[in-house]
Amino acid sequence: MKTLWYILPFIVVFQSYAQLSDFGTVNFYKADSIALANKHEGLSNLPQLAHKLTANLTTDVEKFRAIYLWVCTNIANDYNLYLKNSRKRRQLQHNSKKLEDWNTRVTKEIFRKLLKREKTICTGYAYIVKELSTLANLKCKIINGYGRTSTTDVEKLNAPNHSWNAIQLNNKWYLCDPTWASGIPSPKTNAFIFQYNNGYFLTNPELFAINHFPTDSKWFLLEERTPNFETFINAPIIYSKAYTNLELHETPKTMHHVITKHTTVDFKYTLLKPITDKDISLVIDDGYNSKTIHPKNIRINTPALAFNHQFNSTGFYDVHFYIKKDLIATYTFKVETIN
Amino acid sequence: MTKQLNFTQTTLGAFKSTFGIIGIVMITLLFSNTMQAQNTATTSTTQAEQELTVTGTVADEFERLEGVSIIKKGTVIGTATDKNGAFTFPKPLKTGDVLLFSYIGYEEIEIKIDKNNTVINLVLTTDAIEVVGALQTDKPYKSKRKK
Repeated sequence: MKTLWYILPFIVVFQSYAQLSDFGTVNFYKADSIALANKHEGLSNLPQLAHKLTANLTTDVEKFRAIYLWVCTNIANDYNLYLKNSRKRRQLQHNSKKLEDWNTRVTKEIFRKLLKREKTICTGYAYIVKELSTLANLKCKIINGYGRTSTTDVEKLNAPNHSWNAIQLNNKWYLCDPTWASGIPSPKTNAFIFQYNNGYFLTNPELFAINHFPTDSKWFLLEERTPNFETFINAPIIYSKAYTNLELHETPKTMHHVITKHTTVDFKYTLLKPITDKDISLVIDDGYNSKTIHPKNIRINTPALAFNHQFNSTGFYDVHFYIKKDLIATYTFKVETIN
Repeated sequence: MTKQLNFTQTTLGAFKSTFGIIGIVMITLLFSNTMQAQNTATTSTTQAEQELTVTGTVADEFERLEGVSIIKKGTVIGTATDKNGAFTFPKPLKTGDVLLFSYIGYEEIEIKIDKNNTVINLVLTTDAIEVVGALQTDKPYKSKRKK
């Protein structure tokens, strides 16, 4: 019995190290409760807010979690400001002096709005996460770059359009995207709807790289496996639900495919949580009709998921991959006859 | 042993008779010296730990700024500027303390406190950031097709 007491601390230390290396099983219950309990704290006193969010937490990852969740659940995305800014930036993209002036002006407006009405666009999110982290003695950075969604026009993607954060925890850098984690604009009214998505918190950098391209490539956190811009532009579209369902998106590696009739296409993913065969469906849209199919040869060997689909009719198809009701990814297939 | 004792006694006697007065003077000197040393030490510690009340104002290139956060670095002690951009740090500071001034949209500034630097009038410069924003959406992608 006595020996156990000597061994026990070592076991605990080892286990907690293993947990911290990927935070997979760290329980964020306390950090999350603190973030939610401070819901009505404003931004008028940042040091006080940082203190309230982190003072009762011991580990850096929990402190950061409380800050991040607070920002994601309290700051609203300002869709109108976003539209105004992106329109103006596009107009001024070849006039650097005027763009700079605009930037100075909009920066003021953004931060004033952020402080007064807690509304902002992504630079504001990334900024406030960084500010609160710095005040809590955590090392956090704003990463600027390109973000890509289903409505991004890649042909017009000629200047950075998105900001997110990198955070150093236990001497290792991690990625997160508070803007995309906080919610989405209503498809009808464009009013912002809070809808916290946990998938953007300390995300696997390989999944993150599919729709985040940092201007400074070291912030891919992928070392030698850094994608180039062309790979990024040609990557499949993944949706916010990809982040709650997938650890990795493996194949198809590209968005657009030209194949011959009867070609079988392989799909491969790494899952975050167990699923069953019947959860998987493909919605295949030829521009007039869409049909839902359950693909064949589904192999689920958690966490690995693989299946394939044979395209037996010529045409041009948008293929949407769903897990239950969650839209995960979209690819296009142009199916031609063999000559 | 006895010899030694005797010697000591003799020495003591000699002290008493011959060097009595000198001894007292020396001891007094010793004390006064010690006093002086103590005095200097006290003075220098007071200088280092002298409680400094720090006040000042914060502005940008155009106007005074309200709500600028000011904290003692590494602690949670702090305050914010009032609507005239002025502040009085709530706790006395000492030489070597560092105040961190931060305000959304502006570069952070650290100021080291010493006794000649207790009134701080700071001008913050706007952070060189690119303001950008892409929105996440759950709208399914739709290929553009020729009609």
